[in-house]
Amino acid sequence: MAGRGAGGGGRKTRNFATFRLFPRAGAADPNDRVFVRVDNNDYNVPGFADEDPFDSNFTADAADLHSFASGPLPEHVRREILELGLPDDGYNYLSHLRELRPAASAASSFVPNSTARPEPLPLDVKAYDASRVRVAPSADDLDEGKTMCKVAAKTAPLRRVQRALDPDVARLLDESDFSHGGSEDEGLEEDFVIMANQAEGDDEVEEEEEELGNGIFSDVEEEKEEEEFEDEPKPRVRRLLDEQFDLLALEEYGDSDDDDDDRGGRDGDYELPSEAIEELKLFCDQNGCVDEDYRTPADFVRGRLESTTADEVDESANVIQKCAEYAERYLNEPAEEKETVLVSESSDESEVWDCETIVSTYSNLDNHPGKIETPGNRRKRLPRVFPGETATTNDLIKLHGKEKLPVDYLPQRKRNGEKEKKVKPAEAFNAEKVKKEVHKETKEEKKARKAAVKEEKREARKAKKELKGLYKSETQKAQKVAAVTGPSSIRLIEACYGHCNSSTAMLTEGEQ
Amino acid sequence: MAAAALYGAGGAMKGGKLGMEGAVDMQLNRIRITLSSKNVKNLEKVCADLVKGAKAKELRVKGPVRIPTKVLHITTRKSPCGEGTNTWDRFEFRIHKRVIDLISSPEVVKQITSITIEPGVEVEVTIADV
Repeated sequence: MAGRGAGGGGRKTRNFATFRLFPRAGAADPNDRVFVRVDNNDYNVPGFADEDPFDSNFTADAADLHSFASGPLPEHVRREILELGLPDDGYNYLSHLRELRPAASAASSFVPNSTARPEPLPLDVKAYDASRVRVAPSADDLDEGKTMCKVAAKTAPLRRVQRALDPDVARLLDESDFSHGGSEDEGLEEDFVIMANQAEGDDEVEEEEEELGNGIFSDVEEEKEEEEFEDEPKPRVRRLLDEQFDLLALEEYGDSDDDDDDRGGRDGDYELPSEAIEELKLFCDQNGCVDEDYRTPADFVRGRLESTTADEVDESANVIQKCAEYAERYLNEPAEEKETVLVSESSDESEVWDCETIVSTYSNLDNHPGKIETPGNRRKRLPRVFPGETATTNDLIKLHGKEKLPVDYLPQRKRNGEKEKKVKPAEAFNAEKVKKEVHKETKEEKKARKAAVKEEKREARKAKKELKGLYKSETQKAQKVAAVTGPSSIRLIEACYGHCNSSTAMLTEGEQ
Repeated sequence: MAAAALYGAGGAMKGGKLGMEGAVDMQLNRIRITLSSKNVKNLEKVCADLVKGAKAKELRVKGPVRIPTKVLHITTRKSPCGEGTNTWDRFEFRIHKRVIDLISSPEVVKQITSITIEPGVEVEVTIADV
């Protein structure tokens, strides 16, 4: 009613407000929507506009920002921006923030990554894995150098170290290792029964050592139980086979002869065996001379069979003189026959040459001659021997036509067409004779004649097509062969050249 | 909105009636809720909820008026190149629209619309004088 009262020319007063439901910007839940006014009429709806909490906040911030639009942002805003790690460049990045969805944090709690590598060490720390170090049971000879070598030899540098998260967890892990580690690694010893009986007495010792290990919350594990098991091989009776094996090992690998010592100690020793040392000394005395003389072919030529190593120093001094001598000798050797003739090429009997290759002097790179035989379809060949011909050279394949195809060996085309051609005109001729006599039959005869002509033309067309196709397929085949054997410039399908050089060397061209 | 004006004329009378009868006379407005969506199922569900909610609050509701659905067609060649038989894809995009009229105060409407939340349904509320 109020709307209707407006004047004719102008627009009716619009007394309505339109709100649309939009998802709140920056809200976690997409279903959290607010009404936003989408028109700009003067109508005010008190109910809708005021109750919007988002709007009020927004307007408060907006008011703040507008007041500071020209200047810097308020301090609390700036601090918050910096806390988030965003740059402090006068722009209010907080307007682009979005709340975290509640589902994200609740449902998907973080699960420790099973494939993660242990974190890398800090740069000023270096860790070594000393799990393979065998501490000698006897501590009498604590030569620092030797033990250092042993330790260094067996430890491996680590780049990443697994840090146990919880001391309880670490303790549990260590304990489990101790109980299962030794037996799993080494298997049951041969006299485990004795060991088990002995273990009752050694239990106390083991426990003490375990405690020690757990007390030190260390990153690197050492196999302490190895010490106990080290004693086991000793009580075992050494058999003849053991002695033999040790001897063999010594001979073969020249290891230190520490058979009597603990086997664990052998690994730590890195002294050379005495025999090797003696050899080396000998070598040093001889100043690097080898017993057997080294001869070059040049030595044979010049007739020098003594050791030349000693003369090397002298030779270098008068190289120019030597060169002059050789030059003279070269000039003055007209008919001298050398004893030793150095032949650079390989001997004749090792290579077998093809006569074709020799004749054509083509290299084997692009020439692959084979035995040329007449193609397989000899049976299809009609003996095209005319009475006038004298010599029927059956071994030659004659090429005819523009594309130089072996016509005799192609699949036969129908000969019937030709016969019909000869026959049909004769028939037609007879028909014409009859026609003059009997008029009634002319229609039928005409029909027959026309039909015959049509048939003949059809046959001719078919034959032509067939021949054309044949030619094309044959050229394709020939091109294929040429592609393999002959140079790539040969083109058969375009019928420019018409033959490939190698395989048609023996074939003659037919007359066009 | 000529339609609104016309409707307003009709509604005003009823509004007047209501005003005489009803004890609670908060500023009543004619409220038109337009719901539009791509899929009919959600839309119908929201409509039903709204109507149910409004009826529960004893409001005058004009049931969901179904505006004819607009079908937007996109017809494209299937082939990315021009080769081949000229096959065409015919895609369509259906927009369904429902209109619900209420006579109530805006606060009530706000409550009602906040309850029925369905993704993909666009809600537009027009408030006019009674």
